[in-house]
Amino acid sequence: MKLPPTLMHVKIHGEEGNFGIWLPLFLLLPLAFVVFIILLPLILIAIIVLWPSGWGRRSLLTLWIAPQILCSLRGLKVDIKNEKENVFISIV
Amino acid sequence: MTENQKRILEMLADKKISVDDAHRLLNAIDSTEGSQRGIPRAETTTKTKPKYLRVTIVPDLTHEHSQNVDRVNIRVPMSLIRAGIKLTSLIPIEARDKVNKALQEKGIDFDIHKVKPEDIEDLVEALSDLEVDVASSKGEKVKVFVE
Repeated sequence: MKLPPTLMHVKIHGEEGNFGIWLPLFLLLPLAFVVFIILLPLILIAIIVLWPSGWGRRSLLTLWIAPQILCSLRGLKVDIKNEKENVFISIV
Repeated sequence: MTENQKRILEMLADKKISVDDAHRLLNAIDSTEGSQRGIPRAETTTKTKPKYLRVTIVPDLTHEHSQNVDRVNIRVPMSLIRAGIKLTSLIPIEARDKVNKALQEKGIDFDIHKVKPEDIEDLVEALSDLEVDVASSKGEKVKVFVE
């Protein structure tokens, strides 16, 4: 089982200014989890209502795959730069 | 040390290739020469699992327009690709038919219905042999490889 990412580093350098932030995902993810638990009854009702149309099954699968994608984000790095701008995103 | 290994190290010393390139070339030579000699080496017999898919675009310094080229360095974890492939099961059947039709129009005889979760591991493992190296006329070098 892979652990979810702990930090996200975003850096943007441009002509209009520089911006950089370290997002503490290890603090945000528990909050998101609490919100998810609160909304879970509504989500389950929506899944049951949408089940005959086929979207309920897809929503359930999304709920199953989304945490896997989140945990797989660890190690992702995007670094794009030209003469004037630089965008850097790293998830650790 | 073989002649090929010496040549790679000389290219590295002359800064014609990067350390990453030299490492990959030496590994490739090890596996081909090892198998030719029938020497069972740890590196050749146990294939290391690829961890990341890398996409890099760097300016071709020999090209006159190379200064205008954007530099791109992307590293995508293989586990993200695995999880992403699972999302194909969420594609509605009608959309899959459209994808199949579009692929056939491009001359690719591939049925997306047949992609099963069991095939994902084989697909990702097959990526370990992938290496794309393109030098474009715009003065950029594009590399796609796994590491």
